[in-house]
Amino acid sequence: MSRYAFEGVHVLDFAWVGVGPISTKYLADNGADVIRVESVSRLDVLRIAPPWKDGQPGPNNSQFFASYNTSKKGITLDLGKPKARELILKLIPWADIVSESFTPKAMRNWGLDYEHLRKIKSDLIMFSTCMQGQTGPNAMYPGFGQLMAALCGFYYISGYGEGQPPAAPYGAYSDFIAPRFLTCALIAALDYKRRSGKGQYIDMSQYEAALHNLAPALIDYFATGKSLGPRGNASMRYAPHGAYRCADEGPEERWIAIAVGSDAEWQSMLTALGADTSDERFATALSRIENREPLDKFIGGLTRSQSAHDLTVRLQAAGVAAYPVQNCMDLHQDENLAAFDFWHWLEHKHMGPSSYEGLQHRLSRTPGELRSAAPVLGQHNEEVFRGMLGLTTEEIEQLTKENVIF
Amino acid sequence: MASELLKGFRMLDLTDEKGAMCGKIFADLGAEVIKVEPPGGCSTRRIPPFLEDEVGPDRGLYFIAYQAGKKSVTANLDSGDGRAMVAELAKKCDFLVESFQLGYLDSIGLGYDALAELNPRLVYTSITPFGDKGPGKDYKWADIITWAAGGMMYLMGEEGKPPLEMALPQAGLHAGAEAAVSSLIAHYPRQSDGLGQRVVVNMQACIVWTLMNEQAMPILHGDHLRRSGVYVGSLGIRRKMVFRCKDGYISSVIGPGPTTKNLMDWVIEGGFGADWMKTKDWSSWTPGLFMKPTEDDLAHITDMEDRIEKFFLTMSKEEIYAQTLKRRLLLAPVATEADIARDVQLKARGYFVRVDHTDTVGRTLTMPGPFAKLSETPIEVNRRAPRLGEHNLEIYGELLGRSAEQIAELRAVGAI
Repeated sequence: MSRYAFEGVHVLDFAWVGVGPISTKYLADNGADVIRVESVSRLDVLRIAPPWKDGQPGPNNSQFFASYNTSKKGITLDLGKPKARELILKLIPWADIVSESFTPKAMRNWGLDYEHLRKIKSDLIMFSTCMQGQTGPNAMYPGFGQLMAALCGFYYISGYGEGQPPAAPYGAYSDFIAPRFLTCALIAALDYKRRSGKGQYIDMSQYEAALHNLAPALIDYFATGKSLGPRGNASMRYAPHGAYRCADEGPEERWIAIAVGSDAEWQSMLTALGADTSDERFATALSRIENREPLDKFIGGLTRSQSAHDLTVRLQAAGVAAYPVQNCMDLHQDENLAAFDFWHWLEHKHMGPSSYEGLQHRLSRTPGELRSAAPVLGQHNEEVFRGMLGLTTEEIEQLTKENVIF
Repeated sequence: MASELLKGFRMLDLTDEKGAMCGKIFADLGAEVIKVEPPGGCSTRRIPPFLEDEVGPDRGLYFIAYQAGKKSVTANLDSGDGRAMVAELAKKCDFLVESFQLGYLDSIGLGYDALAELNPRLVYTSITPFGDKGPGKDYKWADIITWAAGGMMYLMGEEGKPPLEMALPQAGLHAGAEAAVSSLIAHYPRQSDGLGQRVVVNMQACIVWTLMNEQAMPILHGDHLRRSGVYVGSLGIRRKMVFRCKDGYISSVIGPGPTTKNLMDWVIEGGFGADWMKTKDWSSWTPGLFMKPTEDDLAHITDMEDRIEKFFLTMSKEEIYAQTLKRRLLLAPVATEADIARDVQLKARGYFVRVDHTDTVGRTLTMPGPFAKLSETPIEVNRRAPRLGEHNLEIYGELLGRSAEQIAELRAVGAI
């Protein structure tokens, strides 16, 4: 019986930046043998983005890169060189899965697209993920997930109200939706291959995956022409609902998120706050929803002197949904994340000990884990070129001199 | 016609808003997903808004979107007979996914240990807001509090104003998708050794995972980002990410690389460039968030951002978007539903699909289509969300071998 879910699964991983690596990371953390093919001539942009150990930029110093590439091996090959591509072709028989996330045409230009590779390995599974898919007029669209988040409508539905500028989520929001969809298709394809003997090609457009998180708004628009738009923290179901300012902690503002869904919860909340009101506008759920602004003012007045953490405990004890609005320093101290064993300090070859996000789930029988820190550039060159491909010391030296292994 | 990919596998879906996405993904991949609802209907049927503002158990847009492709049976979990039916169903299923309060299903004999005894193959996935071990494991949930707990809420909004969630709550969607992935991870070894297992999904952790490179910033740089509206910022420097244009807004990434030079060339070409912009070596410009900018840097950044916005204000979203491919620019319109519905790329790829909803809302509806294109076993999105108990006869009859009379009896005693 295997210790890990994907023990014995081999992945030749050309994917870079976010979506591709996060997807192959699910496999790597669960025992798959994942070899990332990188090149000094074409660095993964995450290797040159912060945060850096000791604030020092460097391709082996980025936690951004490290977080998405745990449990993987890394080799360097300049795919622009024909000899590099020859070596890749020698690795294909080993690979169950080939993954990539370049703009479409890159792999094709190198002769490493699915049509070519399946001639070497007929049951190969290959995935390509990019912003907008392999085909269509915008297939070559240059971009990152942050732009995709705007294209998907997430910016449009983030803001204080109609006519207000977008107050967007931080970063490449759609990059954290697409990988789950991709990994589902990938694992299902892997299982399908085991049952049928057939591999296949997966063309994932991050646009097409991420739009699923907006489905209700899109369906409504097509059917009725209605647009959702930004609406602050207003809810059609809960009132109070939103973020309320609590007591400052030193220079830090503190807020609490609260959602009250019934008259019983409303009463419990008032009791927990040591407050009372005979205001007609707050008497029923419907009237509270209709009088959101004065309600928010009223609640804000009550919470302003309270500790967000203590108020959360009191409200939850009273059966009211509440939790502090946490900044990322709070996350490292959060008791629930700690109890789930979420944060991990791994020993990285160059960075030494650094903090990694852990898994978002736990399996009881074949749990995954962060088996190793991310690789430094070319960390497994010896293991792969000598150990797997049988190259001699002289051959490796020569290829290095020629900037093939680079 | 369903996808071949997970054809033959069966999932029992006992989720609410914390996990409907799980079964939706499985249904798209071709699994038979049986949604178990209380006789009064799943709570997700009551989530507003409703199609054409008309309340009805099949008209909620959340329900239409995320229960598509599933079948529906009713079972009363307060009734011993109802629980027995669910246990029988679990025996015939490969997957079970649920999002009840911790311990509830155990207390009624439908916990993992009980069902694994009946069906050792079962992959049993529990979606929790805060995990199953910490002080928050029994916490009352609403989507906004996990958005807050996970750290993304803090980063959305403007300084001096409340932090924000999106108009469409997201946390449950992330957790549901994570439940799909982790159920499939558990599925893979089960195929060779025949043994299922318990999976626990942590919604808060899913939101932490949306923060991109934020998490290590305080540890490695001693500082963290703060919500800054159309800027991204922390102490010392902030960069404008969203610019006004003639008919809306444009999102941009202005960092190191040739795309920045391309943008500056365009701004200069358009007559909005400053002299310093014409002579600057843009290929070596790296005004990252944690660089120590000089006074000159800051003045230049502000000037540049002003000029870009003035230039964009002379053009529409569509005009600007059309230039991104031509000139290789890192820009995107802040798209509305109308923009997405008109998008030429999505049209060319046939992304949106028309699904017959005659029997539920009296018309056909257009919905997002396959989330990936698979060459051998395409994803099919072609079934509407079910009516309440629509498949009682089919599932209790054909799958569990009950006669029509027996099913009527179960209904009469309030078991289903």
